[in-house]
Amino acid sequence: MSTSAAAGATPVMDRLISRTVLRHQPLSVHFDLTYRCNERCVHCYLDHEDHGELTTAECLAVMKELASAGTLFLTFSGGEIFLRPDLYEILAEARRLHFDLSLKTNALLVTEERAARLREYGVRRVQISVYSDIPEVHDAITKVPGSLQRTLAAIPLLLEQGLQVKLACPLMRENLLAYRGVMALAEKLGVPYVLDLTITPMMDGNEAPLAHRIPVSSLLPVMQDPTLHACKPQPTAEATRARQEFPAAIGSAVSSGIENAAYEDLPCSAGHNSCYISPYGDVFPCVQLPQAAGNLRRERFSDIWYHAPQLERLRGIRESQLPVCSRCEIRSYCERCPGLALMEGGDLLGAYERACELAEQKAQLAGVVTPISALHREQAAFAMQTNSRNEIASFVANSSSD
Amino acid sequence: MTSKPSACWQKNPALAWREIDEATVIISPTDSVMHELNDTGSFLWKNIDGQRSAAELAELLAESYEVTPDVALNDTQALLEEMSTRKLVVPVSASGGESR
Repeated sequence: MSTSAAAGATPVMDRLISRTVLRHQPLSVHFDLTYRCNERCVHCYLDHEDHGELTTAECLAVMKELASAGTLFLTFSGGEIFLRPDLYEILAEARRLHFDLSLKTNALLVTEERAARLREYGVRRVQISVYSDIPEVHDAITKVPGSLQRTLAAIPLLLEQGLQVKLACPLMRENLLAYRGVMALAEKLGVPYVLDLTITPMMDGNEAPLAHRIPVSSLLPVMQDPTLHACKPQPTAEATRARQEFPAAIGSAVSSGIENAAYEDLPCSAGHNSCYISPYGDVFPCVQLPQAAGNLRRERFSDIWYHAPQLERLRGIRESQLPVCSRCEIRSYCERCPGLALMEGGDLLGAYERACELAEQKAQLAGVVTPISALHREQAAFAMQTNSRNEIASFVANSSSD
Repeated sequence: MTSKPSACWQKNPALAWREIDEATVIISPTDSVMHELNDTGSFLWKNIDGQRSAAELAELLAESYEVTPDVALNDTQALLEEMSTRKLVVPVSASGGESR
């Protein structure tokens, strides 16, 4: 029998990941119970109307299938999960099925009684979105006056129940300068935090949220900030323990966030040992890869997971075989996301501007002299060729007219 | 081990767990510690149901793994002791409550 801390990179977790990647077992599932929300965050990628959420009975049936398929880590998210009146019924079934439970919430509706019920149902981790320690900044993003105050009031209630709380702070134009405040807040509370640079288009492809994305050039001061580098502030003893369980990092699109040799030549865990389920029963490889592999109202989870062509295709992708990125000299600095490659570049296998820009910036910070991604190198070469052809054509045309 | 030899054992109901491949992975939500049981441990884990004592579990182990009853009992008691120390299992009295 061996033992280690859960959820970080540990020998037990390493073996678990290796086995599940090898066997394509859905170890980790992100299940959005609703897209309805009591906040209206400016950068949100969701349509908050209810278009026919899974019923309680359907949610329970889905969980039963996930347990049979071998899912251990189950994350309930939204929208705002506390808007589901059947949340506790769902949590009770999740506990009966022995899942390791995590929640993502804005915590506006958390009360002492609700926090106690989360503990009762075996929830281990709660991730809470906090955009700033300044109410005006946070509330301007959520569009709910007083939301920061209510969110922060909920955190001690959850901690008192022994739940592990983690702050998540997506960085955007509106709160770029607030990240240090969130870091200080996390340290004061003794909890881990994660800063996330990922602002995505909406799930239907609408690019409106991208207007809130920070240009890579403006990220330079953040990336150079020594206090943020590798996100390793000097914490309290409690925070140290928590951080060992939840290694903090600037968030990437890699869904598990855990480094493992089993992922070495894979773009990420999506479709290999993790997936995403929407409130309408659609199964996606990842929340950021909006290619539905099937719907749980029509098909069994195991049929989708093991036989959907979309997932089979995804499982065949190797980073070393990507048409452009495999030739990239600064690939080790890149956090390419297949979902964003599809949404932003139109090609699951392709390179996309944002990842290339970020990789170049990181490489430069690491001391690489004039780093250039394969995409940009090829674009430059193509532009040169085009210019040469145009010049020759122009010369020939001028010669003929002479 | 402080429990009586005839005590039955049950899984700690607070735990998250899943059988993965030949192993069983268990996570305690209170301290986030992750445990991994090997195939013998997984076999016992599957059969720990609140109804069986160490002796009864050892019988099952002896049948499945073709070991002598003595070896099976020693292994079973050692594993239950370790699991009990780690709060993965708890003894239950004949009346169904946890025994001390």
